[in-house]
Amino acid sequence: MENSLNLAAVTFDGVLALVLLVLAWQLLRSPNLFKAIVLFISFGLMLSLAWVRLKAVDIALAEAAIGAGLTGALFLTALDRLQRNNQKAGDSLTSQPGKVIAGISVLALTGILGWTVWTLPPFSDQMLALVSSNMPISGVENPVTAVLLNFRGYDTLLEIGVLLLAAVGVLAVTPSAVMVADSAPSPILILLLRLLLPFIILVSGYILWIGKYAPGGAFQAGAVLAAGGILLATAAVRFNLSASKALPLATGIGLLIFLLVALATMMLRGNYLQYPVAHAGTLILVIEAAATLSIAAVLVLLFVGVKSDADCPAPGEDSKNFIFEEENTIK
Amino acid sequence: MTIPLLYALVGVVLLGMGLYSLVMYSHLVRKILALNVSGAGVFLFLVAAADRTSGPLPDPVPHAMVLTGIVVAVSATALALALACRIHQVSGTTQLTDNEPD
Amino acid sequence: MSLIDFLRPMNLPAWIISLPLLAAVVTVVLPRTSRWVGIFIAIIIPLVVVKLCIEILDQGTLQMQVGGWQAPLGIQLYADGLSTAMLAISAIVLGCSTFYARSYFTGKAALRSFWPLWMFLWAALNALFLSADIFNLYVTLELLGLSAVALVALSQTADALSAAMRYLLVSLTGSLSYLMGVALLYAANGTLSLKMLATTAPASPSLSTAFALMAAGLIMKSALFPMHFWLPPAHANAPAPVSAVLSALVVKASFYILMRLWMMIFEPSINPSAAQLIGILGAFAIIWGSVQALLAKRLKLLVAYSTVAQIGYLFLIFPLSSTPQTAQTAWQGGFYFVFSHACAKAAVFLAAGTVIYVFGHDRIDKLHGIVRRMPVSMFAFALAGVSLIGLPPSGGFIAKWLYLNAALTSGQWWWCIIIILGGLLATAYIFRFFSRAFSYLPEVAEGRPAPKIMEWTALGLALCAIFLGLTAPTVTQLLNAGKPF
Repeated sequence: MENSLNLAAVTFDGVLALVLLVLAWQLLRSPNLFKAIVLFISFGLMLSLAWVRLKAVDIALAEAAIGAGLTGALFLTALDRLQRNNQKAGDSLTSQPGKVIAGISVLALTGILGWTVWTLPPFSDQMLALVSSNMPISGVENPVTAVLLNFRGYDTLLEIGVLLLAAVGVLAVTPSAVMVADSAPSPILILLLRLLLPFIILVSGYILWIGKYAPGGAFQAGAVLAAGGILLATAAVRFNLSASKALPLATGIGLLIFLLVALATMMLRGNYLQYPVAHAGTLILVIEAAATLSIAAVLVLLFVGVKSDADCPAPGEDSKNFIFEEENTIK
Repeated sequence: MTIPLLYALVGVVLLGMGLYSLVMYSHLVRKILALNVSGAGVFLFLVAAADRTSGPLPDPVPHAMVLTGIVVAVSATALALALACRIHQVSGTTQLTDNEPD
Repeated sequence: MSLIDFLRPMNLPAWIISLPLLAAVVTVVLPRTSRWVGIFIAIIIPLVVVKLCIEILDQGTLQMQVGGWQAPLGIQLYADGLSTAMLAISAIVLGCSTFYARSYFTGKAALRSFWPLWMFLWAALNALFLSADIFNLYVTLELLGLSAVALVALSQTADALSAAMRYLLVSLTGSLSYLMGVALLYAANGTLSLKMLATTAPASPSLSTAFALMAAGLIMKSALFPMHFWLPPAHANAPAPVSAVLSALVVKASFYILMRLWMMIFEPSINPSAAQLIGILGAFAIIWGSVQALLAKRLKLLVAYSTVAQIGYLFLIFPLSSTPQTAQTAWQGGFYFVFSHACAKAAVFLAAGTVIYVFGHDRIDKLHGIVRRMPVSMFAFALAGVSLIGLPPSGGFIAKWLYLNAALTSGQWWWCIIIILGGLLATAYIFRFFSRAFSYLPEVAEGRPAPKIMEWTALGLALCAIFLGLTAPTVTQLLNAGKPF
């Protein structure tokens, strides 16, 4: 095959594979958590390169934005909270025998898996052929978007549910979802915001639109928009999540629209999530637009939720009245 | 060895490395990092398997699966980090407490 | 396009999944309506599920291609007797627990946190039982796991948060293992559809490895010994209705998936000694869990360890179904365990929750004579105990009887010993609590009165456990519809 004959490509891939492994090894065993997280972000960016090499550009976009960028930001804010009072990054390993046993079992597992992968039967092109033959009636031209939003749209529906669920969960765990900045935002940040925010919105809209024809789509667009939202949140002096009325609607609108379309197609055409062929493209765009807004809102909320704790009272003090009106402790 | 096979094997090794770290280290943030690395390994394997088609185009279904997986992973990571921070806030520790003796 | 069209049988699965999801969104966007939305779902979903049961008893199976795309391109929803029975049990348990929860959670913060999570949990369970696509099952597993973890953390105590974190880590590791198995299956066979895999997947090393990975992940999520360590703290420290649903349904969901994969794809090609090994782990779970329940100082911890023990019974399906004559009986016994344990355990957890509500604690040695303050809850506990021990005429008895039948017919008499021993140990730990609750010692300190709803929903669930025993023929008929086994 042409891949294995192209020496430059092989060298590049070999080096990339090695870099990935070394980065992972270093980030997993670094005693300094900050260093580990920075290495993790680099790992994510290298992974994006790997996705491009494997012809998965949609995933590369999502990995860079969500996998490396947003996840890295989440880790950094969490670390900041955890180390506020405690500067050490505690790092205790288990005892020697446990280490040896665990090491051997993981090696065995990896070996068996590797051997299974090596001896896999050749891949069948059946699924690719099915997708290609149904592309004309799917309403879009990008096969990944077609699979995500049409052929296997039900998975995406549930996945947007998972996002919303995570937002609710993070807020439920964080009793006072109020983010208070340590000081007024720097003028550089405000200038950056003024320049970047309109550009971010434009880029996000473009990525959403282009997802129909080329790599892109709701998740990538939502992640870019979330980046703008997070910048905005960090520039705010005080950001009270619980008091916001628009935010719950923004987070819920994606799932809501998707469900309404699904139920409408069921009631009007008799089949759940079966788009009429003539309108498939439009429906997909509508769902994706709502999803972009929701994804952005949820990702911002996740970030702020992990970040906020400044005003919290002493541990345990406010947990009494969280759910029950009277004290109801379980000893 | 073809390119997809190389990345598939890298994915398997990443999965193993992450699992080992998950069990070995007790700091919660480390465990969450380890789970993310393992997840990346599984995704690498999935996409590499998709690239083994005979023509130039890859199979888009694993791509959709991995996109879904990335979103699920960030949701789970956010919940895990929020929990870890709350645990630190309430009990001052960044490790799991032992099982109750009673 | 008339009104009746909406309720066409083919669309029932879509309604069963979409209604709780819609409710979840509504409770997020309009928190003030949460409690009414919750009650609405608690009433309507059981009704829709009943209609599905009638349909399945009549037709046998029901299939739906989402989006109109045939497998392997699209995702298939599939309802046969087994999945419908699981839907019915979750509707009953969740319905009663919702009414209980409405009285239990009185603060305003619950509107925004408990109800959306609860609706997501219900949606996840329904989507899981109806799915016939291995990747879709992964997404539903994640939806289920994340909502369960967040619900456990709602108690906000240090123990609950730590238990939730442990649960989350175990759950994510299990999902990852399952996903790797899915990836292997797809890479080797090119399809994600359960049906297609059942008919076309050849036995190969990739199949065995995939099964090992998926089974390991699902066993972690079902808390089979020795992967049970996360369950007692999580179920004991969660709020009472959450504990009820976790023990009754959430751990059974991953078990259901394991059974489906086993029955449809993997069974012919797996080594029989693997089945015996799993049975031994189940036996360990029964013994160890019961002993720990005997030693527990808190009521909820006792009940949680009882769950560990009862889950051991479920995994006895593997060795007991190894011969063709006993396979059917073993599977029916196992799932009868699932149904009766779901009702009985939920009843017990709800009753325990009422105890905490009334007295503020659940230390067993300080709970003497409480039957006088809460007779209805204690009666519920007694009836549920009958099913947990396995006495006639309860559902638990039917399950054990089917198991004993299978064990004797296949000549594996050693499992009979385990099952009987399990029953004796269950009697011991149930009576340990009972002797205190019904004792004539001076009454405990004053507590506040329990809301009637809380007591009567517990009793309702306990009665269901007994009812399952009395209506065994109908239940078995439903279970066998569409020939799942």
